[in-house]
Amino acid sequence: MANKVVVMKFGGTSVATPEARMTSAMRVISAKEKGLQPVVVVSAIGRKGMPYATDTFINLLKEIDPNVEPDARELDLLIACGEILSSVIFAHTLKTLGHSAQAFRGGQAGIRTDGVYGNARIVSINPTALFRCLEKGAIPVVCGFQGTYSEDRSLPGGELTTLGRGGSDTTASAVGAAMQADAVEIFTDVDGVKTADPDAVKEAPTLRQVTYDEVAEIAHLGAKVVHPRAAEIAMNYDIPLWVKNTFSDDIGTEIVSRDKFPGRRVTGVTHTGKLVFLQFDLSGADQAHRAKLESSIYGTMERYGVQLFMLNVSPESTGFAVPRAQYPIVQDVLDGLVIPVGDGNDRLVYVFQLGSPTPEVETQVELLKSLGEVRRVGAVLTEGCTMVSVVGHEYMQQPGVFLRALEALESGQISVLQTSDSDFSLSVLVPESEAMRTVKLLHGCFGLAEVV
Amino acid sequence: MNQQSVSTSSFSQSQISETAFEKRRGISHVELRTGLTQVHVLNLAEPLAKKRLEALKAVANAGISLDFLKLTPTGVSFLIPADKTELISTTLKQADITNQLDTGRSIVLIYAVNIRDEEGMIAGILQRVINAGISIDHASDMHDRILIVAEASQAERFKNLIEEDIRG
Repeated sequence: MANKVVVMKFGGTSVATPEARMTSAMRVISAKEKGLQPVVVVSAIGRKGMPYATDTFINLLKEIDPNVEPDARELDLLIACGEILSSVIFAHTLKTLGHSAQAFRGGQAGIRTDGVYGNARIVSINPTALFRCLEKGAIPVVCGFQGTYSEDRSLPGGELTTLGRGGSDTTASAVGAAMQADAVEIFTDVDGVKTADPDAVKEAPTLRQVTYDEVAEIAHLGAKVVHPRAAEIAMNYDIPLWVKNTFSDDIGTEIVSRDKFPGRRVTGVTHTGKLVFLQFDLSGADQAHRAKLESSIYGTMERYGVQLFMLNVSPESTGFAVPRAQYPIVQDVLDGLVIPVGDGNDRLVYVFQLGSPTPEVETQVELLKSLGEVRRVGAVLTEGCTMVSVVGHEYMQQPGVFLRALEALESGQISVLQTSDSDFSLSVLVPESEAMRTVKLLHGCFGLAEVV
Repeated sequence: MNQQSVSTSSFSQSQISETAFEKRRGISHVELRTGLTQVHVLNLAEPLAKKRLEALKAVANAGISLDFLKLTPTGVSFLIPADKTELISTTLKQADITNQLDTGRSIVLIYAVNIRDEEGMIAGILQRVINAGISIDHASDMHDRILIVAEASQAERFKNLIEEDIRG
């Protein structure tokens, strides 16, 4: 007997309402009626702000005292409830439609992880329970985003862990790999991987095949349709991975391995959210002190887990963009940061200053003067900007490609604040108000409306 | 549960075997790309955006591919293959564009899977480079790597340092 297992993962919007769950459940039933053996993976019900969404659970703790950080272990136990609720409700929905179904927590589904709470990696999966469920003719409904960690595998139970970003997609791919599934299908609320955000380019086509590298780079640069972790597992185990729309009959996008690259030059245009760009001027610092100053900047950013975009590093200055949501942290820890160097008569004190000086920084500078010479390391702030990127393959290295992009933006009178590029992409930093127009112009410039 | 005791009436034993999945966290390996020249186009007149485009057009017309393009206060800077150094020098001279060429540059590629998912990792790697005393000409990032441009011998030294880190 051929066991055509298909793993069907439903994201937040596909399980958010009774109507959405019914549509998703009908897709599962339709697969079963076609002779496939569906294994369902679900995310938590709904997105930010909804009653059972992850952030809503976290707020339950913050409401007690926002100044006390929850323990990572306890937090995992709490946020995993979203998927548990979702799996039970989805399984029950299937039952009401006449199909036997069984909900599984990650651990019950045999998913074992390392012991990193909040960002665990899957170590192994024993899918025995899932196969048994299928053999009984029932549909397994697995909680995405979670697993179990046990230092001593001989002990019963184990610690519940969550998988971090892209957790439910990762669960789906890993379960698919462990069960040697015929396919893994990630259901979401868009038709697949598009060449651009449809809010910016209404006519942006859906790509029919995308390589793992393309998906990973697109995600890195701001547009996450399927998480690269999931794509990587599917690629390594040679499991076909699809992104499909729960609410349409579009065939979706297949994620393929590098050797099946369709050969196009440019894949798409992405844009990040709101950014603040900081450029630190190190020219006033003694050559011997620059490394210490830069090290302080990056060490602080690492310590506070700040995401950096658009790196702009040179011997004279250093700069990067940070998400606007993280800027208050950056301002808190860097503005007024004091770096003393030397001793005795050679004592010198550097003070970081982000943008215009605040009264606090001015007071600090005055007080520090008694310790020795005080020099400011100023950072020019550019608020209200965003990064727009063109993703491609080797074509990005062809002569004139960057020129073509910059000419298109110049003709559209878009002010480019900075540029950045890598082997697979080129990025421009533009005013946030111009984000959509920039995407549209670059989409047109590289003929992406015709890409398939 | 002992795997052997599981009923496998319709599934093969290989289908229920345990599997290893995700790649290790953090830096996995390091690579060096040598033979590059850093080009600094300087002192362009106003309007700067137009003059930058003119300079880049001259470079493109000469058939020179460039990487790591960066806008600088008075021009642009970028990286080209070392074998195009003479050509770029002639091209920019003919276009009457002030420039400075730093030959003997390399790129260190530091690989770390899904780098943006590990909070602060990009900053951490840059700090490691700086603490190693490397003067960075430029830096960039991709989903699985950070690219650092530096003078060739410094780049080589840093590559060796990272390899030592990986070996533990």
